[in-house]
Amino acid sequence: MSTSSENGVVYSRLIAKEGDESIYELFIGPQHPSSGHMRFIVRLEGDIIVSVDPDIGYVHRTMEKLAEGREVIKAIPLLERMTIIDSHNVTLGLVLALEKLLDVEAPPRAQYLRVLLSEINRISSHLYGLGIAGIMLNHSTMFMWAFGDREVWIQLAEDLTGARLTHTYSVPGGVRRDMPQAFPERAEKAIRYMERRLKDYMEIFLDNPQVRSRYEGVGVLKKSEASRLGIVGPNLRASGVKYDARLAEGYAAYPDLEFEIPMREDGDCLARMQVRVEEIRQSMSLIRQVIKKLPQGPIFAEKYTRLLPPAIRQQVAQTGQVKFPGIFASLKLPEGDAVSRVEMGHGEIFYHVTGAGSTKPYRLRVVTPSFRNVILFRYLMPGHRFMDFPAIYGSLDYFPPEGDR
Amino acid sequence: MSEPIESFGKHLKAIKTGLKYLISPNRITVYYPEEYIELPTGYRGLIRYYPEKCIQCSLCAMICPAGAMKMYRTREDKKGRPGVNYQRCIFCGFCVDICPQNALEMTKVHDVAFKQLEEMIFTPEKFSQEPVSPVVAEGAKKLKTVIDEERGLRHEPA
Amino acid sequence: MRVMNIEGIITWLLKIVLSPQVFAPIVFPGLLTALMVLLIIIWAERKIAARVQMRVGPLYVTRRLGGVLQMLADGARYMFQEFIIPDSADKTPFVVAPVMALTLAIVPFAFIPSAPGFVPIKSQYSLPAVLALISTIPLSVMLMGWASNNKFAIQGAVREAFMGLAYEAVVFLSALAMGLLYGTLDLEEAVTKQWLPGLLLNPIAAFTFFVGMVMSAGKLPFDIVEGEQEIVAGPYVEYSGIIFGIGMGLAYLKLYSLTLIYSILFLSGWNPVITPLYSIYPGLAGIFLFIKSFLLMLFIVFLRAVYGRYRLDQALRAGWRVYLPLSLIAVLLSIFLRVVNIV
Repeated sequence: MSTSSENGVVYSRLIAKEGDESIYELFIGPQHPSSGHMRFIVRLEGDIIVSVDPDIGYVHRTMEKLAEGREVIKAIPLLERMTIIDSHNVTLGLVLALEKLLDVEAPPRAQYLRVLLSEINRISSHLYGLGIAGIMLNHSTMFMWAFGDREVWIQLAEDLTGARLTHTYSVPGGVRRDMPQAFPERAEKAIRYMERRLKDYMEIFLDNPQVRSRYEGVGVLKKSEASRLGIVGPNLRASGVKYDARLAEGYAAYPDLEFEIPMREDGDCLARMQVRVEEIRQSMSLIRQVIKKLPQGPIFAEKYTRLLPPAIRQQVAQTGQVKFPGIFASLKLPEGDAVSRVEMGHGEIFYHVTGAGSTKPYRLRVVTPSFRNVILFRYLMPGHRFMDFPAIYGSLDYFPPEGDR
Repeated sequence: MSEPIESFGKHLKAIKTGLKYLISPNRITVYYPEEYIELPTGYRGLIRYYPEKCIQCSLCAMICPAGAMKMYRTREDKKGRPGVNYQRCIFCGFCVDICPQNALEMTKVHDVAFKQLEEMIFTPEKFSQEPVSPVVAEGAKKLKTVIDEERGLRHEPA
Repeated sequence: MRVMNIEGIITWLLKIVLSPQVFAPIVFPGLLTALMVLLIIIWAERKIAARVQMRVGPLYVTRRLGGVLQMLADGARYMFQEFIIPDSADKTPFVVAPVMALTLAIVPFAFIPSAPGFVPIKSQYSLPAVLALISTIPLSVMLMGWASNNKFAIQGAVREAFMGLAYEAVVFLSALAMGLLYGTLDLEEAVTKQWLPGLLLNPIAAFTFFVGMVMSAGKLPFDIVEGEQEIVAGPYVEYSGIIFGIGMGLAYLKLYSLTLIYSILFLSGWNPVITPLYSIYPGLAGIFLFIKSFLLMLFIVFLRAVYGRYRLDQALRAGWRVYLPLSLIAVLLSIFLRVVNIV
């Protein structure tokens, strides 16, 4: 057994020793203050982790099967509850796939509004991830600050959509509400506040020598491993692979907007945290661009608004709250498949919808980013010390309800 | 030798940031039963039904994702009038958006509490009454949220 | 035949209660004051952390005073909770260990002087006696972890053993450095010899004793023993009821004793003595000592809002590789200062 020590992490061929007598098995079970909604079977030799077995499935809600039993418009609020902290990005994929099947396109103003809410949700989701990473190190200030600052963005989302977390904003054909009058200046103030706060976060969390020593060189994910294991999201970008579904797929209004993809080469926990903070900055610049460049026009597709009586059409134009045409209660999906990818805060989500000519889809398949990142628990942990386990867990931003669907 | 000194300086910076917020905290707490937040227009709260506008098309029951809207038929009704089951309602607002006669409206009330599960199933008669928030009825102070550049979220008397 | 009258009995009782041997360990700064300090410092920790973290903290128990008696409510709740002894635990050590730990945390007050000439046990070796008593507390924590028969408790006990080894040497050497500087191991004389506070005379020893104190009391960034995110509550995980409350308060009592010693050694103790109070009752003249140690405790408790937790091997490495050599340098510094006749 060869050992080499860097930064106090002992790399050794311990995996072959699983099942040995000196291995100490700990169940970080679902009833644990910081295991999330899942169980880990951690095998330790002394203080070194030999293997971690993630046991997922505790919050499986059979969403794909439930979506097969109801009309496709009802699947939008259902699937939103997979990742409620990032709810617009989750449903946007489904709506894009449905729009491809139903052959309808959202007008440009709706595309920009979708980007607006997507970026607000991305900031919200990254703040959630930062908070969880903080509390995993018992840094309660980062936890409280992240969740308190998230409140600002949730207020903005509430102004825009009417609900704090369960937005249900995009529908096939466009969006449901228009931007209120006071929104641009509130958003600008929120962005300036967040820029100030990000400096505070750096001083007390990411530049804090104590937190740095917990994160530097811990949980290194090499570039080749990341692409081999199929990792997505900021975890992938922190290992040096430049992949973002916003660029690769080019949905909504992203082709017209300028933004950078933050990347790091190290692949350790600190790099992942830094990529998330950079992504918050990029999202804020995207929100500024959207508010500046927002085109005038309708927010719901012409194909559906012409089915509404003229009085209702005028009311929609006045109040900014869309009315659905009657056929929405029984939208028929034509035969065929549609596929779409959307970049959530946690990574790329993939939808595959198969229609069979009825109102209910034949099959709705969703691959969530957390489901793809789960494998990192098995591959990153061995060789690290036991106290690195929460540090790596926090930096991966794994969200159990999303992984289990 | 410079590394420990540099890291000591960063320790001091972190402590200074903590002290800054200790001396002037930026709390966002709302003391709920004595104060409440005035919600923005368009907030999706409890639903109100206007029976005089309803044409009994039952589109709301067809589109409800959670199966919370059910039509209650009496003998002379065509398809019945809607009643809502708040045990199931997810406040998505699809029923409001699809109603062709604007007979459904979402109010700004969100904090009604029920003492029994059976009370949460509303018949069309109860559905047509205006929902009342108990906190507002008892005369709590109204606050509105203001986004501030330096302190984030502030609550001012409305 | 002695005449038994009420007045005689009362004066005799008062003489006993107000003697230093009884007053100091039990009333001030001993058991009763320690419990009051426990009440207030935990509340202060929660309020300070809440102020930094955009929250309010405990408020509703005594609303007008800002929730000061919150810990009394918590303690009352612990009193009414059932004390469950698991079947598989080793029963006698399971019950005895927390009580032993609490006793060991209170006994040092027998040696700590709270005013000039007011000490329960006058001894030339009060400093090593106090430090020796405080360093036995990890043994009872390890006993708690062993008796619980729970994997998480054993992990916590082992961590306590490691941390105990790391910080004890640092604390001892820093105190020894000051003992060398003052030329005495008696805590009372150490105050009289400080014409400048010990903090300015030997800042290195002050720094290392401070860090050793934070490690010993298990406050962030070194709260590794009760690492909630990995080993639930460490050695205290199987306890419920009032014993759990004792376990949680144990760290604060240790902190209190250590901050008293810190104030005596480094912050010039009870100077300036308030002489009018001295004539009322000698024990109260040391009120400044109490105030200084309380302010120091507030600062240490504030660090909770700034730091996360260090990893075990990082804390051990810091203890052995950084602070132990620093405390040896502090010893050399005090030898040098003594030779040059500064003190």
